Amino acid sequence: MLRRLPVALLVLFACHTTARPPDGPPARRIVSLLPSFTEILFAIGAGDRVVGRTQWCDYPPAAVQVPSVGEALPPNIEAVAAKKPDLVVLYNAGPNVTAAKQLERIGIRTVLIDMNRLEDVAPAARTLGRLTGFEPQADSLAHAMDRILDEPRPTPTTTLAFVVWDNPPIVIGRGSYLDELATHAGASNVFHDVSAPSAQVSLETIVARDPAWIAVLSDSGTPPAFAKRREWRAVRAVREGHFLLLRGSLFGRPSPRSGEAIRQFRALLAR
Amino acid sequence: MKWTLLIVLSVAALIASVMLGPAAVPLADLLHSDIVWDLRMPRALLAFLVGGSLGVAGAGLQALVRNPLADPFLLGLSGGAGLGAVLAIALHLPGPWALPLAAFAGALAALALVYRLGLIGGAALDPRILLLGGVAVGAFAAAITTAIVSLADAAELRNAFLWLWGGLSGASWDAVLLIAVYAPIPLLVLLAAARPLDLLALGEEPASYLGADVEAVKRRVYLAASLLTAAAVAVSGVIGFVGLVVPHIARLTWGHRHRALLPAAFLGGGALLAIADTLARMVVAPRELPVGVVTALIGVPVFAFLLRRWTIA
Amino acid sequence: MLQLDDVTFRYPRASRNALSGVSLDVGHGQFHAVLGPNGSGKTTLVRVALGAVAPLVGRADVDGRAAVSWSKQELARRIGVVPQREDNLFPQRVRETVLLGRYPHLSLWGRERSEDRDAVDRALAACDVAHLADRWVWTLSGGEYQRVRVARALAQAPQLLVLDEPSMSLDLRHAMELFELVRGLVAQQGLGVLMITHDLNLAARFADAVLLLENGRAIAAGAPVDVLTQETVAAVFSWPVAIQMIEGRPQMLPLRKPKESRP
Repeated sequence: MLRRLPVALLVLFACHTTARPPDGPPARRIVSLLPSFTEILFAIGAGDRVVGRTQWCDYPPAAVQVPSVGEALPPNIEAVAAKKPDLVVLYNAGPNVTAAKQLERIGIRTVLIDMNRLEDVAPAARTLGRLTGFEPQADSLAHAMDRILDEPRPTPTTTLAFVVWDNPPIVIGRGSYLDELATHAGASNVFHDVSAPSAQVSLETIVARDPAWIAVLSDSGTPPAFAKRREWRAVRAVREGHFLLLRGSLFGRPSPRSGEAIRQFRALLAR
Repeated sequence: MKWTLLIVLSVAALIASVMLGPAAVPLADLLHSDIVWDLRMPRALLAFLVGGSLGVAGAGLQALVRNPLADPFLLGLSGGAGLGAVLAIALHLPGPWALPLAAFAGALAALALVYRLGLIGGAALDPRILLLGGVAVGAFAAAITTAIVSLADAAELRNAFLWLWGGLSGASWDAVLLIAVYAPIPLLVLLAAARPLDLLALGEEPASYLGADVEAVKRRVYLAASLLTAAAVAVSGVIGFVGLVVPHIARLTWGHRHRALLPAAFLGGGALLAIADTLARMVVAPRELPVGVVTALIGVPVFAFLLRRWTIA
Repeated sequence: MLQLDDVTFRYPRASRNALSGVSLDVGHGQFHAVLGPNGSGKTTLVRVALGAVAPLVGRADVDGRAAVSWSKQELARRIGVVPQREDNLFPQRVRETVLLGRYPHLSLWGRERSEDRDAVDRALAACDVAHLADRWVWTLSGGEYQRVRVARALAQAPQLLVLDEPSMSLDLRHAMELFELVRGLVAQQGLGVLMITHDLNLAARFADAVLLLENGRAIAAGAPVDVLTQETVAAVFSWPVAIQMIEGRPQMLPLRKPKESRP
């Protein structure tokens, strides 16, 4: 009985990770409530079926032409419904589960999909392919993502720490997509031992672990504000100006462009 | 004898803060280490100064509002500071000092508002009105803060709340210098009010018949304690329980005479926060707990214990 | 010491005067009692006399200077006040609470001196509470606590004592002891005393002079036997009394109303 428990839990878990996509005709009016899903939909050729996106969906350029329905977590139900969609794609997280139920209650088909790590892109593509009828394109995208995942991890040639906030210092751990990116790009996250996606750490820990690079998500191209702070200059990488400035749109989320992100990341590290 | 112990404890707390940390610094390298000089020393000193300020402010305020359960953050200052901090982040104000300055300004605004409320109808800083006004202003500020957070980019502002929970991770020699220059004045004002505060404990009328200029004393104590608290919030967020519990612990040994109580509260508060910060850095290393959580975890059992003694007495 | 000359006072936004044309003169070695029904202005009189509020008309002086012109600290060095109520927030020992009476004499940063400790000891002895010096205040009986408060006022080394209804919640023995104490201080130390009290009989027994107020006016002032006559008392307090003399002092015996007018 006790031995069956882990299996049962695993099955339960698997059932909850992605809701079974409902059957029915291919979706023709889609509201996408996550930038990653918007990118996937356009990548598999379903772009002109997207009738609503979040304000954060900025790729591809054609997506920006699609009207925005505002925030994503949680979404504005009325704004979404006003687009008269036949499918709404939501990121699988607490507030969205409630929103999905509300949409279902007013007769709108929804699907909740995980999108936390690199390995979530392929299954998401396949699901969206099935729902839109673009299975062949979706499958080829999924294969491309699988190939990236199957590539042997390069031996790390350098170290980094991802800093998402400075006061208090918050870094990325191995639970995060950014850590995966770094691994594929050949850099070792000095906080890989932290299992959570992000965690508050002492500044002196960052100094002691002495990463060669400090990576930040930044669209400005200039070093972050904390670089000038006296206490941060105890970090060697900050003193030497070794910043990896990563554009949020490309590097900040798992997407069909993850392969490109990894390539650019490698190039940045090689400088 | 008890003073000797307290001083020894304070020094020990400071030394421990400098020697101990998640980054293993061998004893031999202690004096040459960047980590020690650039990070641990300013952090330990800042913890001591902030903890001491909160301890003294708490003692003064408890006497002023005639309520032993008063905490420096009861007067709406934390709400104001939080609003200031969130606005600074939401508006993307530039510069490394934007957040502390905005928090300080927010705290001052709350201070002015509560002070003004305390004067309504000639109330002349009636303690009950100060307390109620503080709660009201704090709640109001918190409501606006929540509204801003819900409307703006969630991730950054979530991190603002982590800052608000209290942390000395922003400690630098600049911050230490700032507090070291700023704090002595309100601290001296409070110390000078030590005897009038003893008298105030009898009630305002008896205090004035024993020579206290009650209105002036209330004003000075309120402003000095609030300014100390505002500065503490600006550099280290809201660190609760220090201002509430330390005066009570000090009273157990030093009694109620403020001439002894205030300095004891300073040293006690400083030692407590230095120790709490060391624990915050070490207990879940490499991760760090917000120090406000540690002071609450230490403070609540101590407080419950004190409450039992109080009700039994 | 205290001189009130034809004082008139009205509280802000009040419809009538709290005091109208009241005069009072309290000097050394004199025990003055202020009597009157509720709301007759007794507490207001003390407030004006001590400079807490300024009179609208007339003068209220302490040692020849207007009471309001004195600083609180200067006044506290001359006048010891035992107000009706005090609300001690934190637990204290008797010696500590009496020491508070020395505060008007202490400099801002200076420590307590031996003369301060001696003054406390003398005050404790004079009020016969020296044996309670190390007790916690909350363990005292009402009578003991009241004497401790008088000791605190004495520790101020005042020339004048002002007491506001000091015997209010004391039993017979403790009330007598308190009045004897005050009388003794007047006799031995030459203190002036101004006391507000509801206890007509004890005031009549112990006071040198009595001021009777009604609706803010002085009805009569002078020796108890002259002021507290049967007609005056019955009129001011709206109740019939009979007067009996004891040791040359009038004692009031309230009479029951005739059967027909009883409810």
